[in-house]
Amino acid sequence: VQDVVFYAGATVLAVSFVAWALLGIVVVVGRTRFDRRRGESSRPLGSREARRLVARALRPVGTERGTWRRIAAFSRLARAHHPAAPRVVRQALSDRDERVSAAAVRALGEIGDEWAVELLVDALREGRVPRSRVASQLEHVYPLPAPQLVPLLRDRDPAVRFWAATLLAPYPELGESQLVLMTHDRDANVRAAAAETLGTRGGQASCTAILALLDDPAWFVRVHAARSAGQLLEAAATSSLVRLLCDARWWVRTAAKDALRGIGPDAVPALLAMLTDPDAFARNGAAEVLQDIGFVDSLLGDRSRSALLERIFEAGGEQMRRAAEERARRARRLEEVQAA
Amino acid sequence: MILALIVVTVVAVCLLYLLLTNLVALAFVLLGAKESAFRKLEDETTDYATLASSRFTVPVSVIVAAHNEERVIEATIRSLLAFDYPQFEVIVVNDGSTDWTLERVRDAFGLEPYHVFQRRVFASETVRSVYRSPEVPNLVVVDKANGGKADSLNAGLNVARYRYVCGVDADTVFDRRALLKAMRVAVQDPGRVVGITSQITPARTPERIMAAPPGKRPVERGPLFVFQHLDFLRAFVNNRLAWSRHGFMLCTPGGFQIWRRDVLEEVGGYSTAFTCEDIELTFRVHEHFLRAGRDYRINSLPDSVGVTEAPDTVAKLVAQRERWQRVIDETVVHHRRMWFNPGYKSVGVVGAPFYLLSEVVSPVFELLALGALVASVALGIFQPLAFLVVLAAMAFANAALTAAAILLDDLQSRLYRKRDLVRLLLYAPFDMVLYRPIIFWARMKGSWRFLRGDMGWYKFERNIRATT
Repeated sequence: VQDVVFYAGATVLAVSFVAWALLGIVVVVGRTRFDRRRGESSRPLGSREARRLVARALRPVGTERGTWRRIAAFSRLARAHHPAAPRVVRQALSDRDERVSAAAVRALGEIGDEWAVELLVDALREGRVPRSRVASQLEHVYPLPAPQLVPLLRDRDPAVRFWAATLLAPYPELGESQLVLMTHDRDANVRAAAAETLGTRGGQASCTAILALLDDPAWFVRVHAARSAGQLLEAAATSSLVRLLCDARWWVRTAAKDALRGIGPDAVPALLAMLTDPDAFARNGAAEVLQDIGFVDSLLGDRSRSALLERIFEAGGEQMRRAAEERARRARRLEEVQAA
Repeated sequence: MILALIVVTVVAVCLLYLLLTNLVALAFVLLGAKESAFRKLEDETTDYATLASSRFTVPVSVIVAAHNEERVIEATIRSLLAFDYPQFEVIVVNDGSTDWTLERVRDAFGLEPYHVFQRRVFASETVRSVYRSPEVPNLVVVDKANGGKADSLNAGLNVARYRYVCGVDADTVFDRRALLKAMRVAVQDPGRVVGITSQITPARTPERIMAAPPGKRPVERGPLFVFQHLDFLRAFVNNRLAWSRHGFMLCTPGGFQIWRRDVLEEVGGYSTAFTCEDIELTFRVHEHFLRAGRDYRINSLPDSVGVTEAPDTVAKLVAQRERWQRVIDETVVHHRRMWFNPGYKSVGVVGAPFYLLSEVVSPVFELLALGALVASVALGIFQPLAFLVVLAAMAFANAALTAAAILLDDLQSRLYRKRDLVRLLLYAPFDMVLYRPIIFWARMKGSWRFLRGDMGWYKFERNIRATT
């Protein structure tokens, strides 16, 4: 038995030692070569390497390794703006493998020529590649894709209408009338996107449409409408926004609070009116926003308004009082230090 | 004669066990190498610039649970706030610290107390106060009564606003692109990817190591740190990549764990019934999805995303590792219905049994081997030459697996200096004789405490920093 153990051990030892030594050599040699070639990928493509990459990018593959090598090849060609890039990327975009087509979308974003933008808009319409990834590229490409996006607002597919509305946010001069119409869309996601994008517009029709969406049956539409109302209508939206403080959904209440915080001191009268609301969420929310916009702190040093302060603390609870008192203490201490 | 026969049988069983675990480890290395290669190609073709600036990149809530972390907390928060990511918030939960953790954070970031009405979706200890900073709007600090790490993460979840949450340790300093690198997988497939983790490395002073740029990053000096570094490399590169590829990634470490929030709500959040929360949650999410027959992925990525503080003394290391052993024992035993159960697919057939055999049962074999060694000396059948040959074989087999991990990691990240890679390679054969005995002792202690039902954390003292 001991002989068997000895010889088996010796064999394992020999094999392991050789494996350790070889792997160690590979680590050191590989790293040395890498350090020497560092930064080479940013150099212009040589013609021989380009030919090799084009062949690899066009060759059909059946293995996972081959797929990734193909992706790496056309990505490199696109990055180098090689003349063959349009051909190989176009072919990759229509590939059945989602990894290949998604990588082609990325490559199109990097190329960013007119034909690339057109292909990206087509990909958004067709939906073979996840639309969120196409949208990420369309956000950054130049020339701007806005004129091609406007017709998509009338597309039959609600997902296309959603993405077109979302992507039009940075272009306030485009598609407003269609976006207003979309606030009546049957699809709730489209209504939400329209609400979000209209928040960047300024017309009367946009304001009316957003206010109407604050009562939408879908909670996430109300979330988007609340954000847009705060952004677009400011003080004019406060009476509608404070109503959302007692919404059944937490996310809607949070969005309303965020919007009211953004409005600031102009929201104070409407918030004070909510302090005696029968709904506990409304009272809490109003007190929290008054605290966050600094109204509570401004009352703390004013004895004549302590009754108002008490009403806020009644709605906000004992913890809100303690937090306010601590803030006041810290502010006093800071003033003393500064004075000293 | 009978005693000698028993000793020989025990030795043979232990050697067979050793052979089996090493063959499984070798298989994991080969599978992990494949995963590593694909992840590298995926990484190279990912458009991080667009991901980092797109408003369509999914926002993330980062939650840090901190208990008595005054020495490290500021550096950790600064590294989190420096994330190159379009939209995220950092929620620091002060878990009833008895040192100056809260004061330190309050002073460093100009925090003011505010009362926040929050959802109570996850049960947690009483929240005393919530602090916000006028200077850093995406930082929230929750001060609560002590309830443990899981309880703190649950308190953080109640405040979190975004769809993905990332739990991190307060003693870990992160790379600026950590979130971006990890979330690339979620962005590609948000419907299926429910959990993500990535590689973390240990060091005495994480902030010093992270200050060096990629390619020039040092490995902490001192044998204890080098051996811990090798241990982490083997775990992340040799094991978890293979597990991830084949759907049984059973350990999403607490240092960096990203979860989809709705999944945490489905499974009831972090459990306070275990010594640690991370591995148990991973087991529970697998169990939940596999029982319901739903398609999902929990991924471990090869990218090094941060450096965590490693124990700098043997006593501290034993305290940490005995806790790890205990939580593995608790979790694997608790989820025993998954053992060898084909209904749980690769988790039931490979993952859970692997944990059972390589982690839970291994202290038994190690103890048996030690007993056999003592008995053979006592019985006069000890053969020094055979013993030395087997020991050297074990050391170099382990060194070869470690060298594979070093190679795969370097191919992936090119992070460390060449001279440090050489140092790691040279230390590898000594791991078995200098480092493993410490881990053996910690495992024995952890197993013993598990059997006694002890669930204490036994937190080790933070390392002294030159700057503090």
